[in-house]
Amino acid sequence: MPLSTQSQSEDVQDVLVANLDNARSLSNILKAITCKDHAIFTATANGLKVTVEDCKCMQANAFIQADIFQEFTLKDDIVVFQINLTVLLDCLNIFGGTPAAGVSTALRMCYRGYGYPLTLFLEEGGVVTVCKINTSEPEEPIDFEFSSSNVTNKVILLSESLKEAFSELDLTSEVLEITMSPSQPYFRLSTFGNSGNAHYDYSKDSDMMELFQCNRTQTNRYKMSLLKPSTKALAISCKVSVRTDSRGVLSLQYLVRNDDGQICFVEYFCCPDEEVEEG
Amino acid sequence: MKNVPCLLSSGVVTTISKLTKTCVLRLTPDNLFFILSGKVTNGGVGMWCELLQNNFFDEYQMEGVSSEFNQICLEVSPENLSRALRTVQCAKSVKIKLTKKHCACLTVAAELPTLSSASRVVTHDVPVEVIPRRLWQEFKEPVMPDFDVSIYLPPLKMLKNVVDRMKNLSNFLVIEANLNGEMNLKIQTDLVSVSTHFKDLGNPPWGPSQRGDPELLAEATVDIRKLQQFLVGQQVNPTKAMCNIVHQNVVHLILLHEDVSLQYFIPAVA
Amino acid sequence: MQCVVTGGNVKVLGKAVHSLSRIGDELYVEPQEEGLALRSVNSSRSAYASFLFAPLFFSRYSIPRGLNFRCKLAIKSVQTVFRSLATLEKTVEKCHIGLDEQKDRLTFTLHCKHGLLKTHNLSYQDSESLEAVFDKDSCANVFRAQPRVLVDTVVHFPTSLEEVTLTLSDERMWVRNHVEDEAERSKAVLTELCLAADEFDHFDIKLHNSITFCLKEFRGLLLFAESTGLPVTMYLDEPGSPVVLSVTDSVLEGNFVLATLSDDHYLRQSNRGADAEQTRPPDDFMNDDMDAYLIAMDSSVAPGPSTADPPSLAAFRKPPAPNYRTRTYSEEEEDGEEDPERPPDKKFRSLFFGSVLPPSPRRSSQPFTTQEVLASDSEEDEAEAD
Repeated sequence: MPLSTQSQSEDVQDVLVANLDNARSLSNILKAITCKDHAIFTATANGLKVTVEDCKCMQANAFIQADIFQEFTLKDDIVVFQINLTVLLDCLNIFGGTPAAGVSTALRMCYRGYGYPLTLFLEEGGVVTVCKINTSEPEEPIDFEFSSSNVTNKVILLSESLKEAFSELDLTSEVLEITMSPSQPYFRLSTFGNSGNAHYDYSKDSDMMELFQCNRTQTNRYKMSLLKPSTKALAISCKVSVRTDSRGVLSLQYLVRNDDGQICFVEYFCCPDEEVEEG
Repeated sequence: MKNVPCLLSSGVVTTISKLTKTCVLRLTPDNLFFILSGKVTNGGVGMWCELLQNNFFDEYQMEGVSSEFNQICLEVSPENLSRALRTVQCAKSVKIKLTKKHCACLTVAAELPTLSSASRVVTHDVPVEVIPRRLWQEFKEPVMPDFDVSIYLPPLKMLKNVVDRMKNLSNFLVIEANLNGEMNLKIQTDLVSVSTHFKDLGNPPWGPSQRGDPELLAEATVDIRKLQQFLVGQQVNPTKAMCNIVHQNVVHLILLHEDVSLQYFIPAVA
Repeated sequence: MQCVVTGGNVKVLGKAVHSLSRIGDELYVEPQEEGLALRSVNSSRSAYASFLFAPLFFSRYSIPRGLNFRCKLAIKSVQTVFRSLATLEKTVEKCHIGLDEQKDRLTFTLHCKHGLLKTHNLSYQDSESLEAVFDKDSCANVFRAQPRVLVDTVVHFPTSLEEVTLTLSDERMWVRNHVEDEAERSKAVLTELCLAADEFDHFDIKLHNSITFCLKEFRGLLLFAESTGLPVTMYLDEPGSPVVLSVTDSVLEGNFVLATLSDDHYLRQSNRGADAEQTRPPDDFMNDDMDAYLIAMDSSVAPGPSTADPPSLAAFRKPPAPNYRTRTYSEEEEDGEEDPERPPDKKFRSLFFGSVLPPSPRRSSQPFTTQEVLASDSEEDEAEAD
């Protein structure tokens, strides 16, 4: 690959170097968390975590494990920087980003450290694009303190079945209400719009329901504007795990399979809007 | 004019409709020209598109004002013409006529196939304005600029993708090329700098290949939207696509199909 | 009230709602013994559409005896129920429509594959019955065509185009775009399509004239006709009289009633007297409390061609003769002179219906009635009976 020969000498000073044969693996999953421009990149030996937040009550994370990359080299234990995600996506898709037969965009991503831009080398069919995207001081991401020991209810659904519901959501409703219960209606999505309300009930015995673990009835409302962006993650995922903890904080975990069949994750956290909890 | 191979001709007209709202259609006994003169009102962009009539029509009759001035110049809306031609793509035959109706019109008449025995006839009267002879001198073929570099363009689809993305990031783009077959597209903003490097593109045999350093880059900064407009309309891959650059002055794009040639001029911004 | 729709009929119902949404913002729902009526009318009351789904359309249809219920809902909210027509067919097994009068809710429940249950509780407002008064049978011109023939016709016109003009002769139908004023005409592309009678399943033209009506609503009906494959029958009469587009099969009937343009100028110039003369005494509806009703009506008198475009039609612009039906249509020439007439200066000042009937005798056999226009904003609407 021409890219690797091109910039080897520069590697010495870079704290982060990551190579990817197919830039789509990265751009696709980043698209799933674009709801705000600013994204925090956190690189550790495990891989890359990209975080976007909205209103301090929603957080979207994309996880790309180190072994998705053909090369993933870190000089420090942890490298963190903030970057404009929209700009990054335009750069990653500079050659179109749509899959054409046998053609993919190779990517080499380098970061020299605080104050330096993130440098991308993209190559497709012998044409090379170099992008230098300015980085800034990372903000401290919110810790939602969501721990699996506090999880009250959990269901795992095939994404297929939720896609329909999310595409039909009544956007005149300010909130999306999620009910999870050991008894009927089991798993319910509700909206309360200008012209009435709507309930989508998923049976616990449905072949779309992979796991159903609900301990007590919980009904929480989440701002529609905060949850709507998660539709993008839903669209590219094959499974979704919906969990709530005792405080009503929602965790949506999406399992995403890329072009090469490798698995990545996207996670959304969202604080409840107001509680209408029932025993 | 009869039996237009509509797919192709509407492709040409569609391309032009992406470039300009109105242009001049000049008819001569052998050619059709779509012309946009590079006036300030259209941002200095100029266009010259030339079609050989006998490749498009089975039958072609035209009569200008006199044998001396045997041509007709019309102001047309390529968008209107393109829509008219699009709806008759599957026609059995198509006629285009200059008619005098409520106003001067190019009338596109087509015979459409139907399920029944009779065929269906559709006509589109596209209003045009006949341009008087005293204004004709504006519509002469532009002189090939004395360019610093002439280079073949990369595949237009890839070029379009790159320009589209750069358009999202910036309003202006630097296009530079040399006589060594290299071309770069660059943008720079507060947030990001992007440069795309094409190589081994080749240089057409004409032009200043003998003089100077082949590595020397000629460059021009242009309004990205104008370049994008040009690329958006390209529906067919041309047999040849070239770009001439007059350093810091103008970008001259040329597309050659078998029977159509299109020239497009984008002025450099200061 | 219990209505259950299953299988492919769910999609038919959904399509009907979508095509009604091309007409107005509200859906009028009226469960009747004859079936479920869904209707809509546009804001200027110049277009009305109605579907009646017979009890046999449903796998279950029961309404309480003597149920006297009518309501209207935001059509957008009902569209949401049938959002994706493509998946509707694949995923929905059963659609249940129920009524909760206590809560003023109309409930649509979709039983979908994989045990998914979608419940839409839509709030409604009580309404009077919405019913246009029209009489298809008295229309002079009737033709029927497969939806494809008409779809292939309208495709030649840009979606932004508002009105088309149909010109009918014994053997042919011309369709052209209607362009309002002279200034526009010199810029707009004029498109004309000529269809021979044998493209139609049925073509019975008694009156040679030109009728101008809205394309958007026409496309709305075609949407439905195309997806159900039902032929479209068109009933036309004089310019200014509504045109009726119908689709029917054994379990459903759809009627779109669209106002047509009458020639204002013509009317003002030469028809004052005739106008008054033709004003009929008010009928029964007239005696109802009109404020409660949405009444508009037909006001056309002008037998002249509704548009100014084909120059040869100018020949018809003579004072109306009572026997105008005998007038003939002359083939138009390709190029012609400027039309001496001004085109109509206001669109569809003749609005036609929206009259409210008591729920029972549903279809009036009476033709267009003479009433004051309540729903129209034009000043001088008066009516003409057929």
